[in-house]
Amino acid sequence: MSEESLLKVNHVDVFYGSLQVLWDVSLTVRAGEIVALIGSNSSGKSTLLRTISGFLRPSNGNIEFKGKRIEAMNPYQIVALGISQVPEGRRIFPDMTVSDNLVIGSYNHGARSKREGNLKDVYMRFPILGLRRNQLAKTLSGGEQQMLAIGRGLMGEPKIMLLDEMSLGLAPLIVDELYRTLREIRERGITILFVEQNARRSLKEADRAYIIKSGRIVLSGRAAELREEDEIQKAYFGV
Amino acid sequence: MIESLSDLAMPITAGILLGGLYAVVALGFSLVFGVMKLINVAHGDFVILGSYLAFAALTGIDLDPFLSLVFILPLVLVIGFLVQKYLLNRAMAISADAPVIICLGFSLMLANMFQMIWSPLSRGLTTSYSLTSYNIGGLAIQLIYLLDLIIALAVMLALREFLRRTYLGKAIVAASQDRTAAEMMGINTNKMYAYAFAIAMACAALAGVLVGLTFPFSPTSGVPFLIIAFGVVILGGLGSMVGTLIGGIVFGLAQTLGGFYFGVAAQMFVAYVMVLVILGIRPQGIFGR
Amino acid sequence: MNLIVPRFGQRGVILATVIVLLAVLPVIGVPQQWLLYLFLYFVYLAMANMWNLLAGYSGLLSLCPAAFIGLSGYALILGTWVGVPLYLGVFIGGIVAALFGILISIPVFRLTGVYFAIGTLVVPEALKYLFFLWRPMGRELHGGGAGYMVKGEFIIDIAWTYWAAFIIGIVSIFLMHFILKSKLGLGLAGIRDNTGTAASSGVNVFRLKLYAFIIAAFITGIAGSVFYLFQLHIEPTSAFNIRWLMTSMLATLIGGIGLKEGPIVGTIVVVILHFLLARYAGISLFIQGVLLVIIISLAPEGIIGFVRKTQIYRPLLKLANRKATCPPKTGPKDELE
Repeated sequence: MSEESLLKVNHVDVFYGSLQVLWDVSLTVRAGEIVALIGSNSSGKSTLLRTISGFLRPSNGNIEFKGKRIEAMNPYQIVALGISQVPEGRRIFPDMTVSDNLVIGSYNHGARSKREGNLKDVYMRFPILGLRRNQLAKTLSGGEQQMLAIGRGLMGEPKIMLLDEMSLGLAPLIVDELYRTLREIRERGITILFVEQNARRSLKEADRAYIIKSGRIVLSGRAAELREEDEIQKAYFGV
Repeated sequence: MIESLSDLAMPITAGILLGGLYAVVALGFSLVFGVMKLINVAHGDFVILGSYLAFAALTGIDLDPFLSLVFILPLVLVIGFLVQKYLLNRAMAISADAPVIICLGFSLMLANMFQMIWSPLSRGLTTSYSLTSYNIGGLAIQLIYLLDLIIALAVMLALREFLRRTYLGKAIVAASQDRTAAEMMGINTNKMYAYAFAIAMACAALAGVLVGLTFPFSPTSGVPFLIIAFGVVILGGLGSMVGTLIGGIVFGLAQTLGGFYFGVAAQMFVAYVMVLVILGIRPQGIFGR
Repeated sequence: MNLIVPRFGQRGVILATVIVLLAVLPVIGVPQQWLLYLFLYFVYLAMANMWNLLAGYSGLLSLCPAAFIGLSGYALILGTWVGVPLYLGVFIGGIVAALFGILISIPVFRLTGVYFAIGTLVVPEALKYLFFLWRPMGRELHGGGAGYMVKGEFIIDIAWTYWAAFIIGIVSIFLMHFILKSKLGLGLAGIRDNTGTAASSGVNVFRLKLYAFIIAAFITGIAGSVFYLFQLHIEPTSAFNIRWLMTSMLATLIGGIGLKEGPIVGTIVVVILHFLLARYAGISLFIQGVLLVIIISLAPEGIIGFVRKTQIYRPLLKLANRKATCPPKTGPKDELE
């Protein structure tokens, strides 16, 4: 291994009550990578992300971030370590303005001093947000809300960003735009782990990928290699 | 009808001024409900706690009620913080009803405590300026009522700016809109709730001092103020300062006019009937979302 | 005996024996003090069962039992002023309470969750003030307040008063049993578990809750008027007092909310408390408040819930040689949050 792993999920089992939803899941993300987690609707991909974020606790296995064990931490503590979230459904604060949404993204103490600089960056990267900065977030379109969610995630000066179903419900042009943004973010040195249903698109954008099905990782490897695999067609049915 | 209009000037003015007081009474209740969706049925008793603490300071060390706030506010902030952090946060995780039941327990504890310590007799905060009144436009307007309104506006403004401009304030607002997303921002929502409750308690204590200066109060005065707070919030809607103020004024007017037409004993009854009527017609309030 | 046992089982026989025993108590000459305890027990039991029906099974945190109790009591006592016989008055009290329940459901049922709770809190308070203002029979009695005493000569037979309480108490138990088995009960269970699902599968949520509310109003009302059968005088502050809510709530929570046996067990504790605290009238509400906070924080499932969870009763059941009951579902193994 030439690079240190930034985020490591080690053999994790997760239950909802008495129902098991993740089986022996392992995943590694190295600094500077773009990693995709690909799966269909009830594959467990969002559950895995939720576990990494601290909303669920694994009953077996552990999760490490920069060598530190985080599986038992509260979500707000995990964020403070440098893990930023762009959640499923965006979850922007509907009755707060665009600018307030961004500002609250810099809530963590480390990020507060860099707030003004980061705000400028976000408005440069997403001019439409700058235009709408005093509007209530709920008045934004789906694509704009996604940009806001990503911008908000950036405000926290993260080391790694977790994006859950970023392209859901958005037009292809906007999705292209967002992926371009991800690449720029990676240029800035921020690692990315994103979760998607669309295998084809995801494999184009990612360095490495994991395929999850029914709560298990069934395939993993370099995106370029996976693209060739017939297994993809078999392992990943549906959409 | 025409001649009674000039008679009405007095109760109408009083009602409007009282509106400020009722708005401040409702403020803490509205904050807790807006942030945590928690109905603090002990809110009225926390208001009266403020009244009694000021009373103790007044009779014990002859300290002016407003000055006694210097001691009361920190005390109440700490108590509120601890109550939310260790009791109510846990109760919210148990069930939707559990926090209401705990607050009910507090309500009883407080009311009983007031009676034990200060007896069932009515009390009041009587100061050198309690009876001062000014002649404005032919009406005798009491200083206390004016103070109520002015302080109410000041506190409401301060709270609004706090929520809008500070990180803590924004974090509390964020936590109230989407708890999960707030956690994802690194916000410790349990702590935010504790802060919100603490602030609400401080508002209640302040309201209590104003109440004590304006009306006589007794151990059972808590529930009526709870119901007024509830009515004001329902009428004015959550999260709207203007709405809360208007709600307060409506209730203030209902009381003073009710008392004018039906006698003093009817004041509370009129208020209660209004609450029930509003609930029946439009529970989300006139300004509510 | 041979015929009865196969039909009702051993459990049925024991139950019947207990009931008969309790019924004949006044006749066999037990000390009056016992009758008083049991009188209170049955009255509180009926109220607690109804509170459990609403809060534990229908998702209605009702804070207004005092409204039904007070109105019913007033109906009973004022009824004597217009010549209504006492025992008819008890029944009429229940009807009055039920009618009031229907009336109040109009505003209050538009509210959900905690809004409902506060709405119901307002009602007894409003009634209290109403009865301060309104003197239906002119000023009478007790320090010039709005208190009333029964009019006319009544020789109150302790036995009959006891039996009135006994009947309403037992009726409330059987009522709970049959309601929970009926369509109403199943519908309510569906609502309790998941209102959305229940509503989408055709359950008329509103109507079921309304029925439960009115039944509760009626029975609570009768329990209230039975109480006033004993006390024979009434005044607004105590009639619409929050104490009524407290006893029902504590009894249900201590015993186990949402469980049929909860109020039965919980009321025993509450009655004991009532007499223990009688000496400390000044702080009795304070202690009840503390109890409330402690119980809901530390033992929200109550005694019966605790017993079920730890399955203490299974070896006891085996000893009593009954049909084996299905093992209760164990809770989730992992608490993840």
